[in-house]
Order: sequence, then C-alpha cells, then structure tokens
Amino acid sequence: MSTKGKVSFLKVGILAAVMIVGLVFIAVAQEGPIKLGAVNPLGDITGAQSTKAMELAVAEINAAGGILGRQLELIVIDSEFDAAKGAAAIDRLATVDEVDIFIGGMSSGVHLGEIPTLKKYEKVTVWAGAASSLVEEAMEGEDWYFHLHPWDYLQGGSYVQGWADISAQYPLIDIKTAFWAYEEGAFGSGSYAGSLVAHDAWDNVGESFKSAVFGGGDYRSVLRHAQEIDPDIFIWVGYGADALPIMEQAREIGFAPSLFVGSPPGWPADFGESPLAEGVVAYGMWAPSMRNISPVSDHFWNAYIEMHEEEPATYFAPLGYTNVYVVAEAITRAGTLEKEALIAALEETSYDSPLGETLTFTPSNLIEHQGFQGQKILQWQDGSQQILWPFEFATALPHFPYTGR
Amino acid sequence: MTLLRKLQQRRYVTALVSMIVLVLLAVWKPYALIEGIQRGGVYSLIALPMALILGIVGIINLAHGEFMMLGAYFAYWLGVYTGLDPLVAIIPALAVFALIGAATYLLTIRRALKAPELNQLLLTFGLAMMAAQFANLMWTSRPLKPHLSYVYSSISLGSLRFGTYAFVYTGAALVLLAGLLLFLRRTRLGKAALAVGQNPRGAKLVGIDVNRTYMLIFSISIALVGAIGALFLTRHSVFPAVGSPFTMKSFCLIAMAGIGNLPGVVWGGFALGIAEAFVLSFRGYGGWADVVFFAVLVAVIMTRSYRRRVV
Amino acid sequence: MRNSRYIGYALGAALAAVFPLVSGAYTQQVAVTTLIYMTLALSWDMLLRSGQLSFGTAGFFGLGSYAAVLLFLNVGVNPITSILLGGVFAGVVALLVGLAVLRLRGMYFAITTLALASIFTVVVRNIPSLTGGPEGMMLPTCVFNGNTAQVYWLVLAVAILAIGMSEVFQHTRIRLALTSIRNDERVAKSSGIHVFWYLVFVFAVTSVLQGIAGGAYAHVYGFVSPEGSFNANFLLLPLAMALLGGVHSTWGPVVGALVLGVLGEYLKLQIPYGHLLVYGGIIVLVTLFLPQGFVGALRARVRQFQSGRGS
Repeated sequence: MSTKGKVSFLKVGILAAVMIVGLVFIAVAQEGPIKLGAVNPLGDITGAQSTKAMELAVAEINAAGGILGRQLELIVIDSEFDAAKGAAAIDRLATVDEVDIFIGGMSSGVHLGEIPTLKKYEKVTVWAGAASSLVEEAMEGEDWYFHLHPWDYLQGGSYVQGWADISAQYPLIDIKTAFWAYEEGAFGSGSYAGSLVAHDAWDNVGESFKSAVFGGGDYRSVLRHAQEIDPDIFIWVGYGADALPIMEQAREIGFAPSLFVGSPPGWPADFGESPLAEGVVAYGMWAPSMRNISPVSDHFWNAYIEMHEEEPATYFAPLGYTNVYVVAEAITRAGTLEKEALIAALEETSYDSPLGETLTFTPSNLIEHQGFQGQKILQWQDGSQQILWPFEFATALPHFPYTGR
Repeated sequence: MTLLRKLQQRRYVTALVSMIVLVLLAVWKPYALIEGIQRGGVYSLIALPMALILGIVGIINLAHGEFMMLGAYFAYWLGVYTGLDPLVAIIPALAVFALIGAATYLLTIRRALKAPELNQLLLTFGLAMMAAQFANLMWTSRPLKPHLSYVYSSISLGSLRFGTYAFVYTGAALVLLAGLLLFLRRTRLGKAALAVGQNPRGAKLVGIDVNRTYMLIFSISIALVGAIGALFLTRHSVFPAVGSPFTMKSFCLIAMAGIGNLPGVVWGGFALGIAEAFVLSFRGYGGWADVVFFAVLVAVIMTRSYRRRVV
Repeated sequence: MRNSRYIGYALGAALAAVFPLVSGAYTQQVAVTTLIYMTLALSWDMLLRSGQLSFGTAGFFGLGSYAAVLLFLNVGVNPITSILLGGVFAGVVALLVGLAVLRLRGMYFAITTLALASIFTVVVRNIPSLTGGPEGMMLPTCVFNGNTAQVYWLVLAVAILAIGMSEVFQHTRIRLALTSIRNDERVAKSSGIHVFWYLVFVFAVTSVLQGIAGGAYAHVYGFVSPEGSFNANFLLLPLAMALLGGVHSTWGPVVGALVLGVLGEYLKLQIPYGHLLVYGGIIVLVTLFLPQGFVGALRARVRQFQSGRGS
C-alpha cells in the first residue's frame, strides 16, 4: 500500500474511534429521565390544575435542556380523594415507576393514609398539600420530608398578623369580636380549631354548619346567631359552593358585618359578577392579580393559559408549578440525586414563586422543612380578587366597611 | 260527628297536635317555623318525582339527584348563552328532560325491569356515577351559580325579617302534589298508571299498555326533576356532586311516608324541615340536626310497622 | 364431593397466601383494598340471602374502626385483638339495634339501616373528647409498621374468615333456613324456623365481619375520621361488587370484588381523567347484559352445557 493510503486509513480509524467514544459519552450522559412522582386528586379542579401546572413546569425545564443533562419526567396518579388509593399510588410510583422524588398532594385526610407508605421508602418528598397538624405530628423527625402548604395554625397566625397590620395602618378597622361559621367536617373544624388558638386577642364565637357540598346550603340559623352577636368580623370556613348562597342569605336576613370574610379553598367561577361580592374579604394564597406585581407570576399566568387554554382558577396551580421548580433547582444545586446531598440542597432553596413569596424552608412547630409560612388577605373589588396583605404584595387598598353593592 | 267522636279518630288528633305544635313554634321560634317550611318545601319538591317512579314503576332511582344536577347545569348554561332566567328555563328543561327520561328508559331501564329488583338499583347507581363523571369532565368540579337579585328578597313583619323567595319551593311542592294527584286520580292516563303501580299483571290483563305507562311515568319524573334542577339553581350552587345527598334524603322521605303515599311525602318533608330548623335554632346544637332527621325517620317507620305488623 | 371442596379451599388459600412472594408492594396494596371490599361484599350478601337488604355496611365498618382504635389507644390492647374486639362491638350494637329493627322488611329495613349508619357518623363526629371529632384520630404506629406483606396476610385472614363463614352459611342447614325465609316467611315460620331470631343472628354475625374489616382498615392506614371511616364507598362499592359478581353465593361477591377492585385501579392508570365514567359504564352494561352477575351467568352457561349434553 502507498503511504497516502496508510495515512488515510489511519485518519479514518482515528475518526471512527473518536466517534465511537463520543457516542458512548452521549449514551452514558443520557441515563434516562429524572422521575418525579405526584399523587393528586385529578377529579377535582385543585388536583387537575396542580397537575397541569406541574406539566407546564416540566415542559419549560425540558425545553431549556433538562436538569444535569437529563430530561425531567412527571408521573401523576389519581388519588381519587381516597386514602387507600393514595397509599397504593405511592407504592406504585416507588416500586413500578421507580420515581426519584415524591411531589404533589392536596387533601390532609388522603395524605394521612399515604404517610405510612411514604415512611416505608423514605424518598425525598416535597409535598404541596395538606394543612392539618395531624400530618405534622406524623412527620416529626423525618428529615426527607419537605412541606410547602402552610399548616392550619400557621395560616391562623398569619391572619392574626395580617389584621394587626391592617388595623395599625387603617385605625377605622378595629376588631374585638369575631364570629366564625365553619363547615362541620374535618376541613372546617380543623381550620377553626387552628385559628382559635392563634386569635386569642379577639372575643371568638364559633358555630358549625353543614356545607352545600354535603347537602346543606341553608345558613340562615347560623347567620342569625351571628347577627345577634353583631361581630366586628364574620368569617366563614367552607367550600366554594357555599360562597354565593351565604352572601345571598346574609342579605336576605339583613346581616351586614363591617368585615365579611370567606375562607373556601376555591371560589365559584362567576362569584365576582355578583354585586354581593363587592368588598368580601377572602383568605387565600394567591390571586390572579398577583401577575400585576410579580414577573414570575405574570409569566406563569400567560404560559399556563397558552399551554392549557384555560385560566388558573385555584392557588394549587401556581403551587404545583412552584413544587416542580423547587425540586428542579435543588437537583441542579446538588449536582446529584443522592439523598443527603439533595436534602442539603433543598434546605438552601430560595425560589421566587408565582404565589408572590420567595420560598425558603424553615422549621415549624414539629418539622424542620416548612415552606410557606402563611397566607394572604384578599378582597373582591369590582369583580376580581385584589391582594390587601402582606403589604409588599398589595394590589389595592381595603374597601371598608362591607356593604355589597 | 260530635267533637268527642272526632277526637277519637287518629287523623284528627294528629291534625290538632300538629296545629298546637305549629302555634307554639310560631311564638317561641318563629324563624325555625318559617325557614323549616321553606327547607321542607325543597325536600318535598325533590322527593315527589322519585316517589312517582318508586310507586308506579317500582324502582329506586339512585340517579335521581344526578338528573336534578344535570337540570341545574342545563339552566345555568342556557342562562349564559341566551340570558334566560332559570325560572323561565324550567319550560325548556321540562321538554329536554322528558326526552332524556324517555331515552334513558328505552335504552336501559326497560331491559332491567325483567331482572331482579336489585339489578335496577345497581343500574341506576351506574347511571348516577356516569352522570356525575360526565358533568365533572364537561364542566370541572368548580361550583357555578348565576346571580339573581330576587332570591334574597325579604319582608319585615313586626320584629321579624325573613326571606320570601324560598317560599317558592314550598309553593312548588304543594302545586306539584296537587298536580300529580289530579293527574293520577282524574285522568285516564293517571288512573292507568295507578293501576299499573298496584298490579302490573292485572293491569296488563285489562288491556293497559304497561310498558308505555312505565315509559311515560319515568319520562314525567325525569322531566320534573330536571325542571326542579332549574329552580334549585336559583338558590344553590351547582357542581357534579350536588345531587347525591338529595337522592338519599328523598329516599328517606319516601320510606317515611310509605310507598305510594304522595301527600305523606310532602307532610313528611315539612315535618323534617321544621324539625331540622328547630334544632338548628339552638346555638351549639346544630351538629345534631342530622340525628334528629334520621331519628324521626326511624321512629316513624318503626311506629308504622308496629301498628300494621306487616311492613 | 365434600373433600374436593375442602381441597379447593386449601389450594385457594395457599395460592392467596404465597401471593406476596411473587408481587410487589403496589399490587399487594391494591390487593389489601380489594380484600377489605370483598369482606364487606360477602357480609352484605350473607344477610341478603335472608331477603333483607341492608344499607348499613358503612355504619358497622366505621364502628369497628373506631372501637378498634379506641381500644388500642386508650386501653392498650394489641392491634389484632383490638380488631377482633372492634368486630365484637359492632356485632353487639347490631344485636341491640336488630332487636328493634328486624321486624321491618324490604325498603324500610334498608332505609333504617342507612339512617342508623348516618346516626353513628353524626354521633361520632359530635363527641370530640372521645373520638377526636370531625378531624378524627391518628395512630402513632400502623400495624406491622406498614410491612405490606404482613398487612396483606392480616387482611387475607379477615377475607378468609368471611369466605369461610359464607361457605358455612351455604353448605349447612343455615342455607335452607335463609332461602326459605327469603322465599316466603310464613311458610318458613310454619316449618318451625324462628324467623326473627334467625335474622337477628345473621344480622349480628355479618356486622361482626364488617366491624372486623373496619378495624383492620383503621390499623392498616393508621387513622380514623367520620368522613373517612363511614364513607359511602364502603356501602356502595361492596353492593356493586356483590351484584356484579352474582348475589346469593360466596363466589359471586369474591369474583365481583376481584373484578371491580382490579378493574378500577387498571382503568385509573389507563384513563387518568374520566376513568370513573368508564367504570360506571361497565356497571351499567353488566347490569343490562348479565343480570345474574358473572357467577350467575357462568352457572347458567354451565347448566345449559350440561343439559345439552345430557339430552
């Protein structure tokens, strides 16, 4: 063979070798996706929108190149609001889908059923839902557990702070007596119990009612008792189905406290259109108007609508989005999925979330890694929810007293 | 009949005692009486169409509440797209749900009538599940309610201030009762239906088309409950699961009154509504209102059974 | 012939027992839920064989749950014993209630059991000092510390107990008595059967089973709550399973529970949104086309085949 032939043979050989080595590198780097496993109640709007928001976050992250060179994969199983099904879902995600991290959630009751199963695997868990302190008791001492949603007593504490700040800023608003109407199930009773402890500066009277969700829907006896007390603030804890009927029946019997506060997990679709909504104070974690003051929130709002052709209607949507980003950023910081490193990285979380706050993890009463510390005080004005407090997120001034239009 | 003779008849004693109780309530807890009559109206109204099916076709329609839910959604979306008030939507609802009832009967119920009774229970349970899931898929679980300013109209009588709109349910229940009784006792179709309800084989022998009667009654019942859904929407939010508690309550009322006893359903509805409102009027005891409902129910059923020794 | 049956039992039990060795935690978890529902379906069917339709399964299930948890937390009884005692408690309540209520028949008995179950729920919810109120109570540890295989064996033991009792009811004189009562009570009475005491006995025994299932569930998942432990699912799903599989038999509820339990989970994974619509649709279709349930249809097919061969 001529010298030229030998050299070209060598060139081809080296090129081939480089290509093979390069291919092996690429194959090794793409080990398969990082898997996030979520258990959400898909049959309810909170779980459905939380899932959609998670899908949005995952799509964004993957479009930007993934994490550590790997794609992110989201696997969601319906909890069907059933504790046993939630537990089975955790088992499946852990053993069949072999997820790396657990996320998601909404109902405290379902989560209580999932906890024994979570404790079996002790995978890093960043849980978005559950507010009951029973859950906190169960998770005491588990360093792999991170919790986003504020506990019921944290919510109560934040509202105490909120009203104190508002009263200080607007001395017309002075609260001495409070009447609490709470739905008689676990949600209402738990919220009321948690709030009662925090609001010891007020004169509190409470009464339970049967929510429209369970066949109730007639609140007049409770409203009349409130009327007799004539409180400075009236707070009802129930579900979205109770929102408009309570306002209608209050108007019917002529009950108009100067502060009318509603605390459902979500509001009916057209609540703002009713003139009775004007001035109703709402307890929540987020309002669409957040997008006017937070760029992250604005981006989330637009991206969600573009991807899913519907508007986010519940705070579980930005919460689900936050859930995925917190995990993704922590994995990037840690540079690995190894448990101890991941826990350390999560502890360093400082994420500017579409809910408004910058999310960090600090200890609560019994656990080490609590995310959101409180909620916000909102108000229906001119058909949409505005944020009154914390003042750093305020999008409007309070309208006081409540009159309805 | 002398007064003493009248008092010996149980009917009159019950009526007298009821009068006395009502007067006492009016004086002691007037709001309980007023709102009890209004609540009772809702219960009676919703229960009457179910009683019709149970009495004549003989099946427990577990999808009853779900049809009402669909009727409420119908009225809601009709209002959104055409601006029609739910009260006006009652009329198209009657027509639409009569068709839906007929279709449901022809496609499913008719086949199940030959099967053991429990199959019909399971069938309507399956239909209820499908209806609720359908609503969830179409419109999500988020509650919906139109704003109507007349639903919170009220009047003041002396020191009392109470709502007037909710009497619509009471009125509708009484009107529906009168209408159904007239239909069943005075019209040929209604009398045929009664005959079928009492003895299907006998009715067939006499030449009544049993199958057509069943279909008619079923369609009427669904048409009514769909229209009731529109009325329901005026004061209640609608969401996929809104119907099922009312199915159970209706079933309870019918059991309390006895199958085939339509007036009993209405009086029972009022009695239970008033009893509930009475318990709720005591602050702190509201959680026990349910127990009163069911305790009264059990008590009435037991008393009737001991009296007759048959049921 | 009897020996072949016993061999069949032993084989079935052995197969079921080794199941955890060939399956993962997830399938075992699904199996646990299915077995609990199977126990409820069997206990419901056992009472149905006497002609009595009960809607109280969720009530006794919840009573058993709470009793087991309270005994475990306040008296320090060990979990297994507390589960059995929970069942006994439910049985005692059923006995007392049954003495009053078992003179009722048909729909009236059904509604009364439903009313009682609701009363239990409300009472439990309203004595928070004892029961933890609406939020319920949590156990510090779950039975076997959540080891899925051991939990499975526990629940399997409960299900085998239910199957065993059901077979006893099917293969002894009890069956004749129950069938006779179901067909015609007067004839049964004249044959010397104490109808009332028989019904009380069956009611109490089946309630014990339901209470044991409830206690097991509470210890497996580690908490009780009024909304969770008295949930309507513990009434409606076992009913559907028994009806779908074929009532008045042991293997009907067993097959029904296996099919619906596994199917429900499978559908959920395949159709995340809307699986319940398909589930309801399947129930409707089976009701229409297999009115005797799977086992009943199978038996009819076998009988057809045998009679075809014979002639």
